[in-house]
Amino acid sequence: MIKARGKIGFYLLLKSRFWVIFLFGALLFGIRWTKGAGYLDLYSILLKPILPGTAQREWIKEGENIERNIRLKLLEDDNSRLRRALSLKEFNSDQRISAAVISRSSRNWWQQLEINKGSKDGVLKGDTVIGPGGLIGLVDSTTPLTARVRLLTDPGHQIGAWIDRTKHHGILTGMGTNRPKLIFLNKNILVKTGDAVTTSPASTLLPPNLTIGIVQFVNEKALPSPYAIVQLTASPEAIDWVQILKNNGQ
Amino acid sequence: MANNNKNKLLILLIIISLQACTIISPNWLKINGISPCWPVILLLPFSLKNRPWKAAIASILLGIFIDAFTISDVSYIPSLFLLSLIWSVYGLHNKKIQLYLNIGLMAIFGTALVGLSIWVQKIILYNVLRNNWFHSWSIYVLISEVIITGLVAPFFSSWILFASNKN
Repeated sequence: MIKARGKIGFYLLLKSRFWVIFLFGALLFGIRWTKGAGYLDLYSILLKPILPGTAQREWIKEGENIERNIRLKLLEDDNSRLRRALSLKEFNSDQRISAAVISRSSRNWWQQLEINKGSKDGVLKGDTVIGPGGLIGLVDSTTPLTARVRLLTDPGHQIGAWIDRTKHHGILTGMGTNRPKLIFLNKNILVKTGDAVTTSPASTLLPPNLTIGIVQFVNEKALPSPYAIVQLTASPEAIDWVQILKNNGQ
Repeated sequence: MANNNKNKLLILLIIISLQACTIISPNWLKINGISPCWPVILLLPFSLKNRPWKAAIASILLGIFIDAFTISDVSYIPSLFLLSLIWSVYGLHNKKIQLYLNIGLMAIFGTALVGLSIWVQKIILYNVLRNNWFHSWSIYVLISEVIITGLVAPFFSSWILFASNKN
């Protein structure tokens, strides 16, 4: 008798909508417990095909670039105003001439480039030549239609350089290899690997603050003066187009 | 008359090819980014076929021409002058130098001498280059130049020598 009642009770439990209500309640509890994670995931999956993709990313990047360019322009203006106030040389980016490399000898005894712009275009001996990455070299000689560029890596080629972090001057000397040697003028240099090397902000021969390279090795104990080996940021072996800073960008 | 014209044509071709090779410095003819020593390749057959004084004058003219395309004060002339005399004397005593290997070896010797001369001149002219960084780079350039010139010379120099013999 008792068994039969039990069976009847179980039957009623199944027959009535108890399980449906129970499962629904459990589902609601689950949603509450996970804070609607399943819903949100499902929503994101459904939304994926119509989400703005790479185009949106490009817009954002473009916006960022525009913002950066505006900031750079403001900083440049600010910089030139301060340089004028300090009576230092100014760097005019409008005085640039683009030229193609027509002949290259970047690993021989003489490390030079021939470019297709010469005195007819206003290129003068001693003008600065830059490429993607920074300073490449200086114009050594010109013809009416071409100019010969002496690379920074050419053995014996020397220019003044500056380490911005430590405010130390040095002479960058070409050794033939891709990494010129920066010979410092002081003893206590405190230069570290990774420091940026630029042209001196107070230079009278070269435009100020042009990127040259990164310090790769430092020998502080060298005699008569310490030196660093600099990895150039612009590689003349891979550059097909360069820019000449007319009158060194002044 | 015809032979004379052919000779003139050959000289013109040599001058044009020298200018083209020096200015263009084709990438496919480079090893480790270093091109062959063109003055050696062109001076070698000329010196072997001519008297020492002629070869010496040619070497000076060639040196002046090549120096026009390079920067700094280092010159090709001293080494080319010496090579022209050596090769010319060697050519007078050995009338039939047409072996590719022979030409290649002479070009290797010549390139090594030219390279050494440039290396020494640079050290003399620039005190700052008296260090191991420059010396190790110079050895690298010297070896690469010697190899590529040794490979190229048997073709170019032998061809010029052969053509001038035919004339």
